[in-house]
Formats: sequence, C-alpha cells, structure tokens
Amino acid sequence: MSKLHVERIGGLAGFGGRSHLRSRGELDLETLSAEDNRTVESLFQSQGIAEPSQVRDGFLYRIARTTPEGVETIEVPEAVVPSAISRCVKDELV
Amino acid sequence: MKTRQNLNNRPDMLSGIFHSCLCPCFIIPSKVLKRFSRDRKLSAKARKAFADTARFEKEWREVRAARTRLSLMAQKVLPSQLAAAPPGPPAVMVFNCHNGTTLPGTLVPKAKTSSDTTAKRAFVEATDVAKFYKELFGRNSIDNAGMALISSIHFSVRYNNAFWNGSQMTYGDGDGNIFIDFTKGNDVIGHELTHGVTQHSLGLSYSNQPGGLNESVSDVFGSMFRQWQANEDVTNADWLIGKDIMGPGALARGYTCLRDMSNPAAAHCLSPQPTKFSQYHDGMDPHESSGIPNFAFYKAAMAIGDKSWKKAGKVWYETLTGSGPNPNMKMSAFANRTRSLAGSLFPSEPAVKTAVDVAWTAVGL
Repeated sequence: MSKLHVERIGGLAGFGGRSHLRSRGELDLETLSAEDNRTVESLFQSQGIAEPSQVRDGFLYRIARTTPEGVETIEVPEAVVPSAISRCVKDELV
Repeated sequence: MKTRQNLNNRPDMLSGIFHSCLCPCFIIPSKVLKRFSRDRKLSAKARKAFADTARFEKEWREVRAARTRLSLMAQKVLPSQLAAAPPGPPAVMVFNCHNGTTLPGTLVPKAKTSSDTTAKRAFVEATDVAKFYKELFGRNSIDNAGMALISSIHFSVRYNNAFWNGSQMTYGDGDGNIFIDFTKGNDVIGHELTHGVTQHSLGLSYSNQPGGLNESVSDVFGSMFRQWQANEDVTNADWLIGKDIMGPGALARGYTCLRDMSNPAAAHCLSPQPTKFSQYHDGMDPHESSGIPNFAFYKAAMAIGDKSWKKAGKVWYETLTGSGPNPNMKMSAFANRTRSLAGSLFPSEPAVKTAVDVAWTAVGL
C-alpha cells in the first residue's frame, strides 16, 4: 500500500526546524478519493512553480512519496493541499 | 531524496483545492490553476472551477498590485496635501469563518460590542494597532492611504496559526492545548498587521535574509505595540512574542512564548532562534533567522532606554518606510540604514547612533 508522508511546517510559530513544534501524519493513497489522487499526482508532476506571494506566516506542506525512482518530496502551500491530506497531520510538542 | 518541486511562499487560504473558490484572495499560482483547468484527468466540473478561478485570480492580482503601487506612489507624491486634510481612521471589519476555510467569512455586525469575545478583541486590537501607527509614526493604516483593516476569526478547526494573506489578517482558535485563541496576543495582532505595512513599504520578500528581516520587523512592531499599550519602558517590557497564546500543554512543558527578543535562544521559547549572524544560512525559516535582527533591536532599545517607540522604534520605522521598496534587502544593508538614520534622526544625541551601531555589531552585522 503506497503511503504519503506529510509534514506541516512554518506558520507564525515556525513549525518544524529548530522549534519544539511538529505537525506530521501519513495516509494511504488508496484512502484518497480518485479526484484527490489526481490532484496529488498533478502536484508531484508540477515543476518549478513559485510565483511571488504576499502571504506571510502561512503553512507549507512537505509531502513525500516513494516511487520506483526513489523518494520524491514536494513543498506546497496549504491552499493547494486537498483537505483529506491537510487533516491527516497532528500538531505535537517535541 | 529527490525534491522535484518547491511551491514555497504560497501558503494558505483554502485548505483543499476544490473548496469554495469564490473568495477574493486566492494565492494558488495561476500556472497551477490553468494547468489544472486543462487536466483531462480531473472532472469537467473541477476543470471549470479552475478555469473560472484562474480568470478571477488574474484580475485580483492586478488589483492588488495596482493598489500597492498606488499607495507607494501616493506616499511619494502627496504627503503634504494629505497632511493638510487629515483622514479619519481606517474602517475596521471582522468576519467570522465559523471554523471553515473560506475567506473572509461572514461579516460580524457591530464587532466592537459583539458577544463573541474573539470578534470584539480582533476589532479592538486592530483599531488600536491603527492608532499606534497613526499616533507614533503618522501612518494612515497599513498602506498609509487608509486601507480597511479586515480580520477573519475562527478560521478552520483547532487551527494553530494566524497569518496575513496579502489583504487581511486571519486567526485560528488554537487547539486548546499547545495554543489558545490567537487573537489573545496583542503582539500577534500587531505582528500580522505589520506584515501588511512591510508589504506596502520595503516590500521584503519571504525567504533568506529579506525573509528574516520581514519576520523581525513584524516581531519588533508587534512587541512595540504591546509595550505601547501597557505604557512600558524597555526595562519593564517582557520582549516575548506569543506569550498570551500559549496553551496549557505548552506551559506545562515550560514553554512560555514563541520567541524571546531579549534571549532568542532561550529554553523557554517554543521556537528558539540564532543570536548571531554567523549562525545564519540561506534556506532558514524566516521565523528562525529573525532572531538575529530581533536581538539587535532589543539591544539597541535597551541601550537607549525609556520607551522603545520613542527612538529605536522611530529609527526602525523610518528604515522600513522611508525609501521605497527593496524586496531583496540583506540584513547588513538594513543594519547600515538604521545606523545612518539613527544619526540623521537624532543628530544632537550621538548616543542613539552608538547604541544602534553597538547592537548590530554585537550580533555580527
């Protein structure tokens, strides 16, 4: 069963990095709707899209999947993440 | 690890790409929207939604960019005329997302007296931040042209964040464990609103050194606003960021704030930061690298004494707003500009310039 590993980073509090805040989760691709699966695939297929934005303190989602070529990781803004994925993370203190 | 793509600097607004695409603050890249609108793997309904959104997004981006350009131009061309006819305070509006993720949500009528304490607080604090900028620095709202202050509250569910989306502030309720209601932090509200001020002045980008400066400016003026509300001098101030939004779970672990400007690396910070420029590296989260200029401001303000907004604050404000956009500004350039302005703004008080110089030198800049 293929899994997505998801980490939410950034935000006002600076989740991830040196902080004591983590927001992580994982989910099976099979549990996503067909449409969400296609969205995920489109996000991974996208290349070099980074237009200037005025959003500050927003969250990013680091999403990783394993393919025959190795582990692929993307970092995408919360706005483009299907809610089924954004809901899978759990905030915790570390 | 193979990293194929980075859609950095594009965060937040709607969680879920197919959520309501009707709000006027999209930040999904237009290229993504257009590609999805042509993606035959998606349903016809979804493709149409993306196409419609892409059309609207283009117009909205143009409006926002035009507004920023106009406000910057107005500051250059019209200051004396504007001063002759002082405008009233900006409109302040609060919207309720009702735990959804569509912005701005529904308007809260009479937020100033709302029984929803979050709505009332968002209104009162945003109004006070506008007063802070007007009374201390002569600034007319976020864009110095009377821009309405819009806040959305109760965003998403147990949402541990607050953010500025380029047009408005947005606040989560917190999960009740790590964080509580983000509107409870007056410094948080000052921080978010200051992102708007930065957008309409230096226009600092949001990665590497300018990103760290961008975050620092928001912490500096967020803390300064908190001190101004309490009429504190620099020795009474707590210099903490996020003290009032810490939840019981975080407090039980000894975390009393997000960041501490007086001791950025302290163990009581949920997000400890570097204190010297030698610790900086490109790619660092702006909320981390901001510790360096935060520490410099703290040191300068402490050395000058009295109220932080009287001298150090004026130097930082003039550095932020006095010379037009400079999105790629490095920390050393910002530091040198404060050194220069400390001398020109306070020519009869060389101790101010010395304090600023010593503060930056102490952090390695």
